Amino acid sequence: MSFPDPIAVFRTEAAELLEQIEAGLLDLNVNLGDKDQVDAVFRGLHTLKGSGAMFGFEALAAFTHHCETAFDRVRKGEVPATHALVTAVLEAKDHMRALVETPSGDHEAMSEALLVNLRRAVDGGGDAATAPAAAPPAQTLYKIRFSLPQNAMANGTNPLPLLDELRDLGTCRIVADRSGIPSLDELVPTDLHISWDVELLTAEPRSAIDDVFIFVMDDMELTVEEIAAQAQAPAVIAPASVAAAPVAAAAVVSAAAASAPAPVDAKTAKANENVRVPAEKLDELMDRVGELVIAQSRLSQLAGGSGDLTLRAVSEDVERLSGELRDTMMVLRMVPVTHLFSRFRRLVHDLANETGKRIELITEGETTEVDKSVIERLADPLVHLVRNSCDHGLETADERLATGKTEAGHIHLSARQQAGEVIITIKDDGRGINKDRVRAKAESSGLIAANASLTDQELYQLIFQPGFSTASEVTNLSGRGVGMDVVKRTIDALRGTINVVSRPGEGSEISLAIPLTLAIIDGLLVRVGNARYVIPLSAVEECLELSVEEDMRSRGRSFISLRDSLVPFLRLRDLFRTGTKPDQFQKVVVISTGSERVGLVVDQIIGDHQTVIKGMSKLHHDVATFSGATILGDGDVALILDVGHLVAEGQQQEAHLRAAG
Amino acid sequence: MNIAGQNEACLRLPENLTVRAIIPVREDMLTFIDAHETATIELADEVQVDISFIQIIEAARVYASTAGKQITLAQPASGALLETLRRSGFLEGMSDDDAKFWLHQGKIQ
Repeated sequence: MSFPDPIAVFRTEAAELLEQIEAGLLDLNVNLGDKDQVDAVFRGLHTLKGSGAMFGFEALAAFTHHCETAFDRVRKGEVPATHALVTAVLEAKDHMRALVETPSGDHEAMSEALLVNLRRAVDGGGDAATAPAAAPPAQTLYKIRFSLPQNAMANGTNPLPLLDELRDLGTCRIVADRSGIPSLDELVPTDLHISWDVELLTAEPRSAIDDVFIFVMDDMELTVEEIAAQAQAPAVIAPASVAAAPVAAAAVVSAAAASAPAPVDAKTAKANENVRVPAEKLDELMDRVGELVIAQSRLSQLAGGSGDLTLRAVSEDVERLSGELRDTMMVLRMVPVTHLFSRFRRLVHDLANETGKRIELITEGETTEVDKSVIERLADPLVHLVRNSCDHGLETADERLATGKTEAGHIHLSARQQAGEVIITIKDDGRGINKDRVRAKAESSGLIAANASLTDQELYQLIFQPGFSTASEVTNLSGRGVGMDVVKRTIDALRGTINVVSRPGEGSEISLAIPLTLAIIDGLLVRVGNARYVIPLSAVEECLELSVEEDMRSRGRSFISLRDSLVPFLRLRDLFRTGTKPDQFQKVVVISTGSERVGLVVDQIIGDHQTVIKGMSKLHHDVATFSGATILGDGDVALILDVGHLVAEGQQQEAHLRAAG
Repeated sequence: MNIAGQNEACLRLPENLTVRAIIPVREDMLTFIDAHETATIELADEVQVDISFIQIIEAARVYASTAGKQITLAQPASGALLETLRRSGFLEGMSDDDAKFWLHQGKIQ
């Protein structure tokens, strides 16, 4: 039997908790009176502290304790929630992440500095009006029974502090029920099989008991019976009196307790439907599916050349099953972009503080799903683009007001799926890209010739050149020209494209079109000369026959007329220097990225092909025409064409021809 | 691990007996109980325990009982172990058998 490493489990849980805490803080920053968010942040901090202590992250637990205490005071109305407090705890949250990742590091000085900051934020908030001290209420005897979820310990919940907290509420008798503990040979040692019966005599309200369990409430079983109210507390709860009490007050069950089992059951059922799987296991499975697809392709080819009907039937079954397996696998790897987007809330919050601008982030399409490896690699480019929009795109509040805009600038971050691609758009309502400055900078740095004729799109694409920046002032955020070229490189590596639209005074919109997956794609297998190539099917618009007459007519111009528009085409035979004669009936495969189209002249269209993408070797990493390779059913290697590069090349060719008249 | 004899032996457990380190403890105890008629568990002086250890000992008691074997603690619970038993509610309502096992007492004091 193998068990998950508790430390690894804790780190995963801690990362999720920190994300929740950050989201809660950012929501709270928008509405400081939101009690739900105060509670959510408190719960997150409380859980993190408890789990950290349990797994030996003592420094984390000690540090988090201070933040938790601060939020406890906010919950109790002792201090108000302020922007300063939110900012202090946000900074503290980043430090908590460091304490989780490198617990043995030297964090003391930073911890102390952040705690000074925190104390200042709490004290600076002033005391909220506190209610005058009331007369001590009568004490109530509660009978509590609870059990924590079986995976509580593995997830970092330590029952002992909970029991201590119950003891702190009043006079308490706690009895562990060990009847659920299995035999040693059946025990998963990190699972929890103990439940507790508690008799508590307390002057605290019922809600104080709920508060003890506040961070595990959703997943646990808890029943609380109010036995009796007493004017005075007995010194000790005698077991005999406790035993008699339930009979007297069995009918008095709080509404919360009575209704508790239903949601708990629903939660349990929901939890049982989900399995947490390490990402590398998914990658491993994906590799296996890829190998299966290649093997199936070989089988299909063998069966196709055989007269054995049974073999053909089996081959068709395997083809169908491997296709279904591939589709299922792809779905498993798809994750919503929510997590990707959520980190930008914090980024924009910090950037607003640093620049002194008022910035509002609006996100849309968070449920759009993308392959997990694409999501991971998109994070850095998006950070650069959002930073750039905040720093260069958006104006200061005064500048905006002077031009009749709202005081707060807006950044829209949206995602949507479109024909095998995910389109991620970063849009701002700032000043827009200054075309004249881009041109001047490009000319002065020799990127383009003076007075070169460029479309707007071509001009905007220059901002992604290495070292290109029009910012007159270098700030901490951007302006060093480092970053936008990283965006371009990363998007190219993802086989994606960048489209820029900008209107002076109205803002800019940068759209990234990225393939949904990087693992297996549907491809169109074509032959050029004696070699075969794969064109990603999602980019294929249509296929035409290039008649000899039309070929002769267009020689030297390389345009075809397609429904009243001229589309440039590239002869792949020439491009790849195959040295072979063209087939009599050549074909044109029209591919597109966004609104740009180009035709690719091939000798033969073989058909669709499930393409397992393999990376190119290091020797070929600078070959821009191909984005990868795949293994065909007969064992041959076919190169995968880089659509973005070929479309750009076709457009360039068109521009040259137009320029040449 | 110290083995005194084929049928009676003492298993010395590591200092860290918390959930962070409890997984191999289960394997060690299972192997040890299987190999001996009477197994004595010995704890380090500076032992760190949490509720996962108490649970694993209780599970071992169930296992030993089913297998017709005997398991004992070399020393009565004290220090961190006694404190964990108290905090986790194992001392309240403890049966005579439990008191004998954990505290080496006929009755709870």
